[in-house]
Amino acid sequence: MADNHNEGHIGYPGYFGVFAILVAGTIFTYFSSFWDLDSIFPGANTLLALLIAFTKMTCVMLFFMHVYWSPRLIWLSVVASLFWLAIMFAYTMQDYFTRGSGVFSS
Amino acid sequence: MASHEGTHEEFHYHAPGLQHQFEDMKQQEESVSIGMWMFLVQEIMFFGGLFSAYLVFRSRFPLAFAEGSNHLDPFWGGLNTLVLIVSSLTMALTVFYAQRGNRNMQVLMIVLTMIFGATFLGVKLIEYTDKYNNGLIPVTGWNKRIKDTGASEHTAETSPAKDAAFVLPLVETRTSAAESATHEIHPNPKGEFQWNYGSHVFDYAIEKEKTSGKAYLTQSERIGYFSNGAFDPNKYRDKIRIFFYIYFVMTGLHALHMIIGLGVMVWLLWAAFRGTFSSDYYAPVEMSGLYWHFVDIVWIFLFPLLYLLGRHFLHS
Amino acid sequence: MQNVDAIGSADLTGPTKTNYLSNGFTLKSWLLTKDHKRIAIMYLITISLFFMAGGLYAATIRLELLTPDTDLLTSATYNKVFTQHGILMIFFFLIPSIPAVLGNFLLPIMIGAKDLALPRINLLSLYIYWIGGALTVYALLQGGVDTGWTFYTPYSTTFSNSYVMAVGLGIFINGFSSILTGLNFIVTVHTMRAPGMTWFRLPLFVWAQYATSLVMILGTPVIAITVLLLAIERTVQVGIFDPAIGGDPILFQHMFWFYSHPAVYIMVLPGMGVVSELISNFSRKKIFGYEFIAFSSIAIAVFGFLVWGHHMFVSGQSIYAGMVFSFLTMVVAIPSAIKMFNWSATLYKGSISYDTPMLYGLGFMGLFLIGGLTGLFLGSLGLVVHLTDTYFVVAHFHYVMVGGQVIAYLGGLHYWWPKMTGRMYSEFWGKVSAMLVFIGFNLTFFPQFILGYQGMPRRYASYPAELQVLNIFSTAGASVLAVGFIMPLIYLVHSLFYGKKAPDNPWMLPGLEWRTSSPPPTENFEKMPVVTWEAYEFGEESGLDLDEARRRESVTTVS
Repeated sequence: MADNHNEGHIGYPGYFGVFAILVAGTIFTYFSSFWDLDSIFPGANTLLALLIAFTKMTCVMLFFMHVYWSPRLIWLSVVASLFWLAIMFAYTMQDYFTRGSGVFSS
Repeated sequence: MASHEGTHEEFHYHAPGLQHQFEDMKQQEESVSIGMWMFLVQEIMFFGGLFSAYLVFRSRFPLAFAEGSNHLDPFWGGLNTLVLIVSSLTMALTVFYAQRGNRNMQVLMIVLTMIFGATFLGVKLIEYTDKYNNGLIPVTGWNKRIKDTGASEHTAETSPAKDAAFVLPLVETRTSAAESATHEIHPNPKGEFQWNYGSHVFDYAIEKEKTSGKAYLTQSERIGYFSNGAFDPNKYRDKIRIFFYIYFVMTGLHALHMIIGLGVMVWLLWAAFRGTFSSDYYAPVEMSGLYWHFVDIVWIFLFPLLYLLGRHFLHS
Repeated sequence: MQNVDAIGSADLTGPTKTNYLSNGFTLKSWLLTKDHKRIAIMYLITISLFFMAGGLYAATIRLELLTPDTDLLTSATYNKVFTQHGILMIFFFLIPSIPAVLGNFLLPIMIGAKDLALPRINLLSLYIYWIGGALTVYALLQGGVDTGWTFYTPYSTTFSNSYVMAVGLGIFINGFSSILTGLNFIVTVHTMRAPGMTWFRLPLFVWAQYATSLVMILGTPVIAITVLLLAIERTVQVGIFDPAIGGDPILFQHMFWFYSHPAVYIMVLPGMGVVSELISNFSRKKIFGYEFIAFSSIAIAVFGFLVWGHHMFVSGQSIYAGMVFSFLTMVVAIPSAIKMFNWSATLYKGSISYDTPMLYGLGFMGLFLIGGLTGLFLGSLGLVVHLTDTYFVVAHFHYVMVGGQVIAYLGGLHYWWPKMTGRMYSEFWGKVSAMLVFIGFNLTFFPQFILGYQGMPRRYASYPAELQVLNIFSTAGASVLAVGFIMPLIYLVHSLFYGKKAPDNPWMLPGLEWRTSSPPPTENFEKMPVVTWEAYEFGEESGLDLDEARRRESVTTVS
């Protein structure tokens, strides 16, 4: 009996709860894209959208993909792959951000 | 175990599906799980490369990207997001039922997942067809060829079906309202990429620069949109074309993964229907689920990054 | 019945038992096998073919460069020749070499498992390798590519008239072979270790394969997407790499080198793993600083992802980025240096026997040292402006890739040949060819450092007349090197038919792979081992019978 699986004990209420969060996140991201948040600081809209997307991803990973109940190696794989993405983005962009002519104006 | 000598008293229960290289199911499940996650790590880096390209171009030409993004319909994009989320739910429930050995519910959930997956692809088809009709595919010859009849046709009455793709039922936008008033059919004899929707985001940004004194254009844009000091719509169009290129490659690759996912679901359905899975052996269901959820996660990021950019410029 | 506890007691005169080679003789039993050892042998044959093909291209290059003029080949053809030399050698020989041949064969045995965790994935990996290779070879035969193995845009996307798409597709497909192998190794090391085989009892070869596998799965998908974008760009000319419409050719380079730099660590880490085995075992001394070497493999794998910009110093990337990458390039040299020090310390007061594998191992240490140090030259922002795209770079990477991984590969092949084939090769010819390889290699590539410093550009079919003497030395060295490489082919194949039958443990060593028959049975061990000893344990604790070892040492010097 594969009883090292204690995942999925969230059952129907749990799954539908996560589902509700995901749907709420989608609706929120949709409508917030129409608000002019860039007056707070530039890039605020994008940041909010990414934060919402991140939250949704975390929910799907932890609960639908059972990472919450998975061995530490799986946690490490997830974190490591996100970290590697960050390396790729950061190190590529540090070139573009620092070019003499300036990618971003002041 | 390689050697069974002296163990005849023990009854070696070989769970169904136990492969020869493993000692027991636990080892097999652990291996298969780590293997699948390593595959997903690899897939993350695969899509990551595209996100990198997106990041570079978006940071150089934010206005062109916003302009292009404003012409994607967030209704369809949002609908697709919801569809995928529902399919993720049904997929998670498939695993749930597989764990409990409930064959009928498993099969039902897989079928539902497939229906939603197919819906996603159907919506994508609608969107892509719309792009095809409007000359937004960034490759010459891949758009609908519209003969040049000499005079551009103005239809005062808009056909609701055609505009439904652009006009959000609930929220009338500045641009779409303007467009629906006079819908021009632009000739496109070579099926080229065309940008016939003006430069509203750019105009907005220039206006804001003048009124607020803050810089709204990047350095690359100050060079990239202008020729001889004046705004050059062709150069602007080229940058928007890059946006659509990235849009098509990212969503296309994603759609390809969905199609593969549906293929996996077909196999899973067949296997589940035959009662292959039980509470002892359901790892393939779980692994297929991991893949499906991953494809969902990629879309969760694609949707805001492609559809919702700079929407507040013109629609707030 | 193999007794895993007391080694050296194999019965040489008993009836031959079935082993993985005699377990089925049909083509189907080989092509549809799930046995990692058979898959390793099939890889061995294929990569040897690719090595020979790449070597032919190398010979052509060196022949052309005998004279300063472009006389043997036209420039256009020369472009194709060096490109194809690079592509075949890097993607189809070096990257799979040690992992797919030695790793596939030995990893399960070294950890005491029956097979890899995912044998069907292993077979799929082989098939994908064949398909990618076949497509590439087909494209090369049709007319090949002339863009350089680096496929820089916009030449490769817009101007080149060669088979960029087909070769790119071949490389794309081949990448998945790499990914699946890496995936398999990671899973196997995590889940298939025998009882008692803790992480820190693993042979360092296994640690090195694990680190390599990390690089494979994190890096290879990025080259896959890069090649895909390149192919799309080439077909539809959208222009994300075209500056005229706002695209950026440097983006291609960033994405390309994000993989290709870690790829060079795929092309050295496994070699370092082999060398750890060779140095320790042929000094009959426990390796010095086991944990340091193990962790330095992981460190190289991780830090290797942070330095790719050092291939792009003069490309137009920002100076600031250049400084960051330069600094990190210096940092990434540190784990490699740690290994060198540990190997040297292992040799100290060891009981060194200069068998062929050890000659290769020592050769690695010397050649990789030179290669690695010259890498630091190239990582210095000031120097690199002078040395970029010259023969200095060519010499550097050949020292680390050929003087490094190829030498280690040959060393490992010789070391484990008795285990893999059940035959002893000729030790005399082994030593001769090792010396020829070492001498030939240095004669070929050392002058290239000087040539590069004097300004000879790479990828040119012609050069200033005053540089001819050194080029002649280089080509002469290449001839010697070629002989050195061809000889093993002859005597190793000869040994398959006429070689002395190998005992289970010809070198009298404590490793787990030596506690099963040569060649091993299909399930690797007759009785699955339980490990109670540390790695590289040369004393009594490992069950090694020292008197027996001394008595049988004569076995290792049989010619």
